[in-house]
Amino acid sequence: MSIEQVLFYVFAVAIVASASAVVFLRNPVGSAMSLVACFFFLAGVYVLLWAHTIAALQVLVYAGAIMVLFLFVIMLLSLTDTGPLVQLTPSRAAGALAAVAVFSALIVALKKLPDVAPGWTADPSQVARFGTIQYLGEVLYTKWLFPFEAVSLLLLVAIVGAVVVAKPRI
Amino acid sequence: MIPTSHSLILAAALFAIGMLGVLVRRNALVAFMCVELMLNAANLTFLAFARERGDVTGHLSAFFIIAVAAAEAAVGLAIVIAVFRARGTVNIEEIQSMKH
Amino acid sequence: MNDFLPLIPAATLVVGAIVLMLSEVFLASANRGYMVIVATLTSVVAAVAAFWNAFEPARSVLQGYAVLDPFSSFMTCMVCVGTALSGLVASSFLKHRNAERGEFYALVLFAAAGMSLLALSNEFITIFINLEVLSVATYSLTAYLRRGGRPAEAGFKYFILGAFSASLLLYGAALLYGATGVTKLDELERALPLAAATQPALVYVGFGLVLAGFAFKVAAVPFHMWTPDVYEGAPTPVTALMSAGVKSAAFVSLVRVFLAMKGALPPEVPYLLFAALALVTMVAGNLLAMPQRNVKRMLAYSSIAHAGYLLLGVAALFAPAGASAKAGVLAVTPLLGGTAVAAGDVYKGLLFYLLGYTVTTVGAFGCVAAIERREDETRTNTWDLERFAGLAQRQPGWAVAMAAFMLSLAGVPPTAGFIGKLFVFSAAVDAGLIGLAVAGVLASVAGTYYYLRVVVYMFMRPSPDEATAPFRHWTMDVALVTSAVAVVALGLLPGPVAQWLSRAGMMFGHF
Repeated sequence: MSIEQVLFYVFAVAIVASASAVVFLRNPVGSAMSLVACFFFLAGVYVLLWAHTIAALQVLVYAGAIMVLFLFVIMLLSLTDTGPLVQLTPSRAAGALAAVAVFSALIVALKKLPDVAPGWTADPSQVARFGTIQYLGEVLYTKWLFPFEAVSLLLLVAIVGAVVVAKPRI
Repeated sequence: MIPTSHSLILAAALFAIGMLGVLVRRNALVAFMCVELMLNAANLTFLAFARERGDVTGHLSAFFIIAVAAAEAAVGLAIVIAVFRARGTVNIEEIQSMKH
Repeated sequence: MNDFLPLIPAATLVVGAIVLMLSEVFLASANRGYMVIVATLTSVVAAVAAFWNAFEPARSVLQGYAVLDPFSSFMTCMVCVGTALSGLVASSFLKHRNAERGEFYALVLFAAAGMSLLALSNEFITIFINLEVLSVATYSLTAYLRRGGRPAEAGFKYFILGAFSASLLLYGAALLYGATGVTKLDELERALPLAAATQPALVYVGFGLVLAGFAFKVAAVPFHMWTPDVYEGAPTPVTALMSAGVKSAAFVSLVRVFLAMKGALPPEVPYLLFAALALVTMVAGNLLAMPQRNVKRMLAYSSIAHAGYLLLGVAALFAPAGASAKAGVLAVTPLLGGTAVAAGDVYKGLLFYLLGYTVTTVGAFGCVAAIERREDETRTNTWDLERFAGLAQRQPGWAVAMAAFMLSLAGVPPTAGFIGKLFVFSAAVDAGLIGLAVAGVLASVAGTYYYLRVVVYMFMRPSPDEATAPFRHWTMDVALVTSAVAVVALGLLPGPVAQWLSRAGMMFGHF
């Protein structure tokens, strides 16, 4: 096993463990901290997938900005969780079953995938630019104009929406 | 290199854990965190396929998903605060008031 | 420059929203009467621009991320009509509660811009982003009023299920990207048949997840559980906007996405899925609406039933052309030796149905908003049928309008709802879906019961003694009169509109 593979399996186990902790920890602060850990390990996997730029964004935006917002809200509301962790109502049981069903369908679908060695890595010029911020930026600003503008609209709407909803009284 | 299918199965596991969390957890904020897990599973899938194909589309998709997740988080957390102000709790069972 | 034509309506709406937002900051005066006028004018201008676009030739624009086609342009037109009417309803509703603010109208216009952009998006990530634009705006509108706990609760439910369904959709798109290497719908259409042959499992799971994501958005059974609570808890004008705009935009996007995937799968698979979804949604929506005494909640279930009728039209698009023997109601019975379905008729039917439903549902929720009183906000019987008792004596105009909306929802002639149902059901029969069309007709006959019950209460029951005069404002009257006139006019003279829709109700790449 190469060092790459060893790292991948370490990260994979850590991701599954921290994601389960998000679901099964009683304290919301614990859940949030596990989620931060999960995002960091995911960033590690992204690096192994040659997606350095996205890995950096994952740490900056997800672990840095979004999770701080979550923790801020938890602290602001001083949330504590009492009572049973999950109460199994019929609808919840159905939901859990649905999650298991989706997972098994996915495993069946993904196990059958042929493991083709990617042919494109033979071309060094492609390998050199793959996943770099320069190449991403080039494609982003030449081809992805419409989604980019749509996201800028989304951010504007989100700002207005968040301000309106967080107002104490209207 | 790491076989693509291993990354994909990891993403599937992450997606299923997130889905389970959204559907069974009683705490609204934790349910929202589980949605973030599901979005990350989609991201991981995009990146794994992008690595296999040497295609930048997967990377840009992930880029946009992160931006959308940030916008969603801002509004979602504002709504959680509004729920807490109105009810004094974020427990999904205790905020149910509408009956048939 | 031509590439930007389809964006003009959305851009107009965004500019209007920004103007309203800034005016709230810089023109701080107690009189906000001009806001509703600005919002309505903006929507009308956007509607005209969209109508203009509908006669442009269909083509792919913005490097393939969007399309300019009559289908999306007409959809934008309808959304703008729905937005203008909901804005007028909202003005009266919010004035009564002293809650009229520029941000409200800005968010309404942002939501409309999102719907317009969603209708013309032709790529999965773009669809996801624009879906979020309209969803984020409607989540915040749902939680806009904070009187009692209901709006915040509804906002949260809507938010968590909306985010959940968006991630289902996105994960499905990721799997389809894996199978084909593309996310643009027209490229997907070309690449998918090969992918379905080599990696069928991946394609099927991706298809299923995308379908589930959309089913949540259009509130198809069994993905409907959020609808009644959210529709009931949201401020009534916002409910009107949700049931008219969000649903139509999601339907247009659904049709676009699944037409692109049609070629890759055996024709029975998408057909049977949509037919089953349509059947369950029609039947369950009507059955659940029947026992409701809460009119707002009844309208929420009725919107589920109407999603079912629309899904029947969608199923007609996917009906296999040849004879295929399937048991039961879902069977395809080929007429005239199994001619291919005239897709144009189905698009026309869907668009006309959506147009009729838009004016009807906004009007119906407008009436509910009109008789709702400020003191009721924390009471549980706010929307009880009793509130409508004797409305014909107290407010004859409103009662007549509400009766028109109820008849249109029930599909009784001469109303827009009847013609819409006629178009959709006859397209379904042409496609050979006789069993399903019969089921649809039976379901809508059953639905007549609870719509007419409202009419009976308004005209044949005495008013309760405690009834007080409702708050009246000219904007509400304008909205109700406009929608009632539109409902009746579309029912009496569907010709011109139907002709536009059939001439232009085609979709890029599928006509």
